Parts: sequence; C-alpha cells; structure tokens
Amino acid sequence: MNKFSKFLVALAAGLAVFVAAWFFMQAGHYGSVSAHAENSPVAAAAPAPGGAPIDSSKCILPTEYMRAHHMQVLNKWRHDSVREGNRTYVNPQGEHFDKSLNTCLGCHGSNPMFCFMCHEFANVKPTCWDCHLSPMEVPQ
Amino acid sequence: MKKVLKPLIAVIVLALIPWLGVTYGKLDYVFAIIIPYAAGVILALGMLFRLVDWLRRPVPFNIPTTCGQEKSLDWVKTNTLECPSNPFMAALRVLSEVFLFRSLFRNTKAEMAGGPKLVYGSHKWLWLGGLAFHWSMLIIVIRHARFFLATLPVPIELLDTADRFLDVTVPAFYITDAVALAAITFLVLRRLSDAKMRILSLSTDYFPLFLFGAIAIVGISMRYVTKVNIMPVKALAMTLASFGFSEPEPIGALFYVHLFLVCVLLAYIPFSKLVHMGGIFLSPTRNLPNNSRAKWHKNPWNPDIKFRTYAEYEDEFREKMKKAGIPVEKQ
Ligand code: HEM
Repeated sequence: MNKFSKFLVALAAGLAVFVAAWFFMQAGHYGSVSAHAENSPVAAAAPAPGGAPIDSSKCILPTEYMRAHHMQVLNKWRHDSVREGNRTYVNPQGEHFDKSLNTCLGCHGSNPMFCFMCHEFANVKPTCWDCHLSPMEVPQ
Repeated sequence: MKKVLKPLIAVIVLALIPWLGVTYGKLDYVFAIIIPYAAGVILALGMLFRLVDWLRRPVPFNIPTTCGQEKSLDWVKTNTLECPSNPFMAALRVLSEVFLFRSLFRNTKAEMAGGPKLVYGSHKWLWLGGLAFHWSMLIIVIRHARFFLATLPVPIELLDTADRFLDVTVPAFYITDAVALAAITFLVLRRLSDAKMRILSLSTDYFPLFLFGAIAIVGISMRYVTKVNIMPVKALAMTLASFGFSEPEPIGALFYVHLFLVCVLLAYIPFSKLVHMGGIFLSPTRNLPNNSRAKWHKNPWNPDIKFRTYAEYEDEFREKMKKAGIPVEKQ
C-alpha cells in the first residue's frame, strides 16, 4: 500500500468513527428522554410544591443583557431544571423566578410575534418550538 | 522570532484601535460606516488595478509546464486534464486548482532519514490543511450573508443548516468554526515547527494567518461566549449592503474589533500575497491550452522586416553581374 492509500484509509476510518460517534450521541439523547419520563428523580422533582413565584411584572435581568444573552439563559435554565432538578432562579437583586419558559411568556406571551420579529429579522432559527408551544400557537 | 512577533503585535495593536475608539472615543460612525466603505473601495480599486495590470502583460506563447502526455498521434494516450489541448479542459484545470488545490496535492517533502540520506516523500498535510482552511473560511463568509440579506436564499440556508447539523450548544455550533481554528493553528505550527520553514517564512506569511485567526476568535467569542445584540448588527450590515449612511444603534466594542480587522483584511488583500485569489485565474501555466504543436503561434513582437528575395536582388544587379562574369539565373 502506498502512502496515499494509507492516508485515504485513515481518512475513511476517521470519518466512520465520527459518524458512529454522532449516531450514538443522538441515540443517547432519545434514550435519556424516555428514561426521565418514566421514573427519574428529576421528573418527580419537577412539579415541586410551592415552586418559586412567577413575578411577571418585570424581567429577570436588564433588557440590554437579555437582548444579547437570552438564549444562554434559556439554555442554562433548561439544563438546570431538566438535568439537575433545580427550578429556582435568583437574580442579582435577590428576586426568585421559576426556571421555565412560562416565566418569560408570562409577559412576553402577550405579543404573539415577540420571539419571531427579531428571529425573522436576524435570520436565526432556534429549535425551541420543535417541542414548546410558541406564543404564536397559544390561543390568546 | 522577530518575524513572528512583529505581525503578532501588529494584529494586537490593530485590534485595540477600534476597541479604544469605540469605548473611549465614541467613534462608532467611523468604524461602522466610513472605514468599511473605505476598505471596500481600496479592495475594489486595488484588485482592479492589479488584475488589469496583469491582463495587459502580453503572454505571446503558451507555456506547457505539464505533467501529462500532450495530444499527439491518435494511438498515443493523452492526458486531457494535465495537458489540455482545448480551452475547455484548460478551464477545468484552472478550476480544479481553485477548488481542489491539485498542484499542492503533488507536494513532496525532502527529509534526512537516519544519517546522510535524503528522502523525498509525498506530503499531503499542507494540501489538507490548506483545503480545510480555505473551504471553512469560504463557508463562514457565505454564511455571513444572513446579516446582509433580508431573507436568505435557499442554498445559503441549506449550507447553514448542514454546518450546524451536530445540533450541540446554544447558539448552534458550526463545524466550520472548529475546522477553521484547527486549520489556522496547523498552518501556523507548520511554519514554526521546522527549521527550513522558519527560514523561508516571512512576517508577511504570519500576518495574514494571525489576522484571520484574530477575526475568527473574536467572531467565535461573539457567537458563543461574550455575545452581542444581533439586531443592530443586522441593521448595520443591511445599511452597508444597500450603500446607506445612517448611524447604527450602539453595538458592543468587540463587534467593531471584528469588523475593523475584516476591513484591514479587505484593504490588505490587493497589496499582499492574498491577491492570489484573483491572480490564480491568470496563471499562464494553468490557463493556457497546450497546443503548441497543433497550432502555429506567431510571435506578435516580430518586427515588420522588408524581405528581399534573390530574384529581386538579381533583377537589380543583373547587368553589373554579367559584366563581372558572375553567373546569373535569368538571362
Ligand atoms: C473575512 C470576513 C469574515 C470572517 C472570516 C468572519 C469570521 C467569523 C467567525 C468565524 C464567526 C463565528 C461564528 C460563525 O462562524 O458564524 C463570526 C461571527 C460573527 N461575525 Fe464575522 N467574519 C467576517 C466578516 C464579518 C463582517 C463583515 C461582519 C459585519 C456584519 C461580521 C459580523 C459577525 C457577527 C455579528 C458575528 C457573531 C454571530 C453570532 O452571534 O451569531 N463578520 N465571524
């Protein structure tokens, strides 16, 4: 085998490992979802009695910060609540919020286009609405 | 080491200029509108100047530096891509160079193997690293169309979707970001890790690499870590795309570092080795069909010589020649 064939074989092997790893990562996601739904402690902890009150009169953090970082906040909230069962967010002013999309939609749901206006303008396609009901789909 | 440090410091200083200018000088308009247009004009005029200059240079003969059999007798097998005999195949040869870097694929490396033995071996890493760098940069730049266009054309949409198909991190991770960073790192280390390459490399070889690296790192940081508000960015990009001059809303200073380094890059292209992006199409050894045997190539510089035939000479001197006893052809 000459050097180039060896190189091609290495490339093909690398590609195969990559595809396999990706496949199992994806498969792993689906597996974990059903496990949570059945009997995980997280699922049990989720509707914790006396959850944090939803203060829907103002936003959790300043508007300027939210404009740039809301996706990071939501991503962290999802991880904290779904994976770790920690459902309460405390902002720098010491106010408590439920780590839930509903906290946001408590105010922002009143405008069905709230999320879409910017996302359309900026050409970004977040995957939130693959699972969640978007403000546009919720009957007003 | 000076050859490496100078361009590195240059890039750092260049990155600090917009950061200071926007944070302390409130020079948003300069960095958002004036400098991008200036860079665009320099790029367009500079490229035009370089290419027109090259196009005007005469290329009187084709230059058959080929690695394949030229078209010859019917029973001789020809290599139509390596040694094209018509313009179509020559165009294919140029395009395969542009898109696949075919010449680089032939790259060899000379090494001393165990004592005084010089060994030449095929060396594909530069080809692979170069290809990864150029393609990921191209895809990243094409993806940026989402800032400049109101609605994305379907092909760019598909490219974007394919690029983030791993579907990890928020915002979605782009494969090309990782590939670009890895390729730049490799290309820098390639020059630093070998004594021969260190001697051959100039500061003008490091500067573009550092500049691209800085642009990519700042962009990646803006997307995944420090974040910027995309709305005013999109508004500004659409203003620039429609040649408008309206003042942008406030955007983070980091964005202006990104944009200013891109402007430096655009203005630097026509005057540096990066001009190869236009020059490659004009390489005579790639774009000329090798038909030097099939076709007569007349030298366009041949002076217009007045030839005089022997018959004319004899006509003039016949009488004198006869008198002198010199034989003549016509009596
Ligand atoms: C040679 C040109 C450029 C290169 C190589 C480049 C490179 C990058 C890279 C690697 C990223 C990381 C995220 C991604 O891959 O999309 C990025 C992000 C970004 N770039 Fe550029 N860029 C260029 C030009 C521009 C220009 C002209 C603008 C002005 C509108 C711009 C604005 C941005 C913004 C706002 C982000 C953050 C994206 C986000 O948050 O989703 N870039 N850039």
